[in-house]
Amino acid sequence: MYHFLVNSAVSYEATMLLPTVETMTSVLYFGLFAMSFDFISGYTGYLSFGHAAFYGTGAYTVILIANGAVPLFGSGTPFMASLLVAGLLAVVLAVLVGLVSFRLSGVYFAMITLGFAQVVYVFVRGWDYVATNPRDGPSVGSAHSAGFEIGVPGVDQLNLAIGILTGDEVSLLGQTLGSTAVSYYMVGLVVLVCYFAMQRILHSPFGQVMLAIRENEERAVAIGYDTYRYKLAAFAISGFFAGVAGGLFAGFRRSASPENAFYFLTTGDALLASIIGGFGTLAGPLFGRLFDETIREFLSTSGQGGGLLPYLRALLGEETLGTPVVGDMTFGGLIDTLLNGHAALYVGLVFVLFVLYVPDGLLGTIRQRAGGKLAVVSANAFGDPSPDPPSDDAGGDEQ
Amino acid sequence: MILEALADFLTLSELGSVFVEGLAKSALYVMIASGLTLIFGLMGVLNFAHGSLTMVGAYLGGLVMVLTVTQATGTVGRLALFFVAIVAVFGALTLLGGAIETQVIRPLYDRPPIYQILLTFGLTLVIDEIVRIVLGIYGMQPLSDWNAALATKPQFLRQPAALGPIDVRWLAVFEILLGLLTVALIWGFLTRTRYGLYIRAGSEDAEMASALGIDVRRVFTVVFALGVGLAGAAGTLLMWDVSWGASVPLAAETLLPAFIVVIVGGLGTFRGTVAASLVVGMTDSVMTWWFQNYVTFTGLPELVLFLVLVVTLIVRPQGLFGVEGVGGH
Repeated sequence: MYHFLVNSAVSYEATMLLPTVETMTSVLYFGLFAMSFDFISGYTGYLSFGHAAFYGTGAYTVILIANGAVPLFGSGTPFMASLLVAGLLAVVLAVLVGLVSFRLSGVYFAMITLGFAQVVYVFVRGWDYVATNPRDGPSVGSAHSAGFEIGVPGVDQLNLAIGILTGDEVSLLGQTLGSTAVSYYMVGLVVLVCYFAMQRILHSPFGQVMLAIRENEERAVAIGYDTYRYKLAAFAISGFFAGVAGGLFAGFRRSASPENAFYFLTTGDALLASIIGGFGTLAGPLFGRLFDETIREFLSTSGQGGGLLPYLRALLGEETLGTPVVGDMTFGGLIDTLLNGHAALYVGLVFVLFVLYVPDGLLGTIRQRAGGKLAVVSANAFGDPSPDPPSDDAGGDEQ
Repeated sequence: MILEALADFLTLSELGSVFVEGLAKSALYVMIASGLTLIFGLMGVLNFAHGSLTMVGAYLGGLVMVLTVTQATGTVGRLALFFVAIVAVFGALTLLGGAIETQVIRPLYDRPPIYQILLTFGLTLVIDEIVRIVLGIYGMQPLSDWNAALATKPQFLRQPAALGPIDVRWLAVFEILLGLLTVALIWGFLTRTRYGLYIRAGSEDAEMASALGIDVRRVFTVVFALGVGLAGAAGTLLMWDVSWGASVPLAAETLLPAFIVVIVGGLGTFRGTVAASLVVGMTDSVMTWWFQNYVTFTGLPELVLFLVLVVTLIVRPQGLFGVEGVGGH
């Protein structure tokens, strides 16, 4: 599809609009992180503002294992195993944080999780165990030059390496997939499995209790559920997938920094994706992130993805661009200033508009418009027995 | 080693200067956080944009100072124009705050409170990027501190002062006085004016206050505007302190301590905010001293501040002066 569009008559417009495969990979792993954030915040209503702590733990664990810095796990540990370890460490952290945090609710919960995450962030930024320069964060050393492999550990044929330059290339049906494309599919595979796992949990009785907590926690307590345990378990599960997402991120990028793994604005990005995609729809955050990244890519200066700026430059021609507008600034300079690297402004504006006018997000709104049909169809597709489809309840059992 | 450090710490001159520095930090924290606490106390809106608005205030204040204060030569003239800058920025940001409240926050009152957090979080992104673009247009580096505004500081504020055996900076003394002035002004506003009465009544029980004939909507607008104005004024005050200055990351640098202060004090209580500023400022100052002299861990003061937040929330979730149940959403 991508190749078709890029090689078609509207190729220039297509390269301008469509994100690159590399971007799509980051959409996948960050989308998984946003989904894990939505899993706890969208479904139980507890805004976990420190979720980046789990993402960062996952990312750092994978890199440190690869560098042989973690006891018990040598640098030869298969990537899938270190991914699992990353997720489990994140679970441990989530349980520790959750044990005290879930005594609080609302703003206080958001603040205590933020507090914990910032403690971890500041600590990691100054801890010289993780990297020689902890402020820049660790990266996979030269001892581990091959890409990380995703697949079935122990079976070489079922493993494919990921990474921008280090991954495998695959020839399939006469088409050659580059290392980035292979990474895209392999990361996508893990994300898909995680998505199904979370979906399954949400459709189980356990997930129904999570919804009950969101809708009316007092009533859930009155019915007899120990909501504290349910919240803690949901938090741990969410932490696990956040850790896996962080591990995928580190596995693909081969480096991480405190800023892009542990900082509270990383949680903020997940929040953006969740709101734009639809808070409380599990797949929503993935679409939200896709939307986000598309805007960012669209407004970036260069890259194979094209973007608006090179397009405008080529379209308008030198003369128009040279016209002075404000002071010494030419028109070209002005659009450069307005568009180059300021995608956060437009993402922020879109976010504010969504909060104000589309509170259900992209996916949530579509589901509402479709009268809950989408939700029921997907529920059946995932083998979830729903004897009487909720026809009157918009959003159905996926809310 | 620890005993030696402790003995060193407990000498009169060290303890005294740490104390004065702590007071100066407390003064800055109370100025940064009081707007946030006013807004939360009445409206229950945790304003994530507070840091960004402080940052806007810093740049605006710096601009006014560069334009006016450099004209004055004498110390008195410079100080007077500095206060003019604060008033100007306060006025400008009050208008901005009023606009934000009426245009974007008002439609959200009938939604779950989470949406107000989300909205103000979105505002920070927008404000930060607009500031970056404006800085880009005027060719100022987005990250570097703005030194032109720092240079408007009068000469005597650059010098150390000696209070008996204690070495302090005149700037610290100046900041403490400003902090006291801010606290006195807000206290007077809350207890002596009609709007202060509305605010106190509204934060006790907004529904009852509106039933008694107070136009709560308008009070909300006024309080949000004033809170934003205070954020801006605080930003201006930071411009003469080398450790702050104006930069886009200032938004996060001020937002996080402000959160710590209002939560440790108890969300929405001004008394608590003042007390918590003292606690946080002193902790910061003591930890900075330990870091500078004995501990090599770079993030020590910051780390301990967040630990103060976490421990407070565990031990006393409602904060030092908070009332359980108020603002519990």
